[in-house]
Amino acid sequence: MEEYKVLQPFKYFNDHISVNVRPDGRKFDQQRSIKLNANSVNTADASSLIKCGKTSVVCGISLELATPKAEEPDNGFLVTNVELLPLCSSKFKPGPPSDYAQVVNNTVNDILKNSKCIDLKDLCIVSDKLAWVLYCDIACLEYDGSIIDACLATLMTSLKTLSLPHVIYDIETEEIKVDVNIRHPLKVTGLPVATSFVIYQSPDSNVALMDPTSFEEEMCGGNGANLVVCWNQGLLCGIHKFGGATLGTDGHKKLLNVAKERSKTIEEVINTCIANETSE
Amino acid sequence: MVEEDLKDFKLKPMKCELNFLNKSDGSAILAQGETVVLVSVNGPLDIKSTSQNMEKATLEVIFSSKGGKPTVSDRFKENVIRQTCETAIFGCLYPRTGITITIQELEDYGGLLPTTINCTCLALLNSGLAMRHVVAAVGCALDEAGNLIIDPTNDQIQTATATMYFVFDSREKNLVTGFSTGTFGEGVYDEALERCRAASDLVFNFYRDIVASYCNVIG
Repeated sequence: MEEYKVLQPFKYFNDHISVNVRPDGRKFDQQRSIKLNANSVNTADASSLIKCGKTSVVCGISLELATPKAEEPDNGFLVTNVELLPLCSSKFKPGPPSDYAQVVNNTVNDILKNSKCIDLKDLCIVSDKLAWVLYCDIACLEYDGSIIDACLATLMTSLKTLSLPHVIYDIETEEIKVDVNIRHPLKVTGLPVATSFVIYQSPDSNVALMDPTSFEEEMCGGNGANLVVCWNQGLLCGIHKFGGATLGTDGHKKLLNVAKERSKTIEEVINTCIANETSE
Repeated sequence: MVEEDLKDFKLKPMKCELNFLNKSDGSAILAQGETVVLVSVNGPLDIKSTSQNMEKATLEVIFSSKGGKPTVSDRFKENVIRQTCETAIFGCLYPRTGITITIQELEDYGGLLPTTINCTCLALLNSGLAMRHVVAAVGCALDEAGNLIIDPTNDQIQTATATMYFVFDSREKNLVTGFSTGTFGEGVYDEALERCRAASDLVFNFYRDIVASYCNVIG
């Protein structure tokens, strides 16, 4: 069976899809099991680790103080950085971030911005003088598809557990005092959840597979998922479709609903994880 | 019925010139409103063996912004265009070769990416590469009052709560590529999708007119 997969990957994949099953035994709209853990990295100000099937992604947020930009004196900064190191898959080579890593980073950043779950004004301490910078470093440890879903889930968990230390700023002497013992949690409104699909062009009709693995992504046009739907509290905050097979109206509508259902599940997972973490 | 529907939509004036560049295999310059893009297509070319694909042609998209400095969002644009073209081009006819699409942004007054996709499609038509279908990109914006504006101007994009862009194929009018900014409800999305789908006919008609005007036999 393994040899068949290596020698005839397309035929192997098609044989599975034609009998309505995916190579790993899942149904078309079935997701992989999720394991989520908050505060897994002690040296970061907030962190979390997610495992969706074999995809595992860790996110750490570190805080820094900086002067706001002159054109936006009331806004702090939120910088996301997604790293796809050679560690996570043989697809990625060492060196500067690959095009794909930049695309993933851009998509995650866009979703976060569009959902407006973090008000950058909350990160400002003194207008035009002092503001927080949130460096959100997201590193992939193992790559097996649906990377955007995992990145966003771990990023949101980290942001929800983040608390900012109390800062006293003396305007006259410009002296900064940070009291790490007094912390207030960062205000996060809503919880955007992304759901990835690949769309496979089978002879009869196009089928959509939820939460695809790396192999499934490869079979459906190469890099990454074909469709990423992002729900946030009953509203859509990003629909990205990248190439792949085309989608009719009915199929499209169905996928939006499937993603909506999944977003509720993921939301529950994240909230339970945070509740467990704080009660400990 | 369709004729009537089309009257409801108005796109920004489109001006196009094919064969704008002499040395490339296919080129087009397209202005949609005040946004202007120049695209050149070269291929099928010989490429180094490591990037050759046994199954189909390898696409390379290079996007040069007006400022010249490459940014992360340029990579994103390249990715969107590459994936869109990959579905449009009959790549399996040109295995082990490369196709290079070079895009130069000339003016950006809103809706740069849809204009780029339309211009790329025209350049591909001009280059004579075999294609499964042509593609048309249409954008729409949701203003604060909740109205949908098809093919918004730059001002309308700046004040909009959400913008949505769709790319349709010419055969079934199915969704090939889509991307959005801002937050919006499901109903709004469905309406935007349907209206853009109808408006895409205008773009396809424009393609037909342009190709006919350059072709002495059909014209």
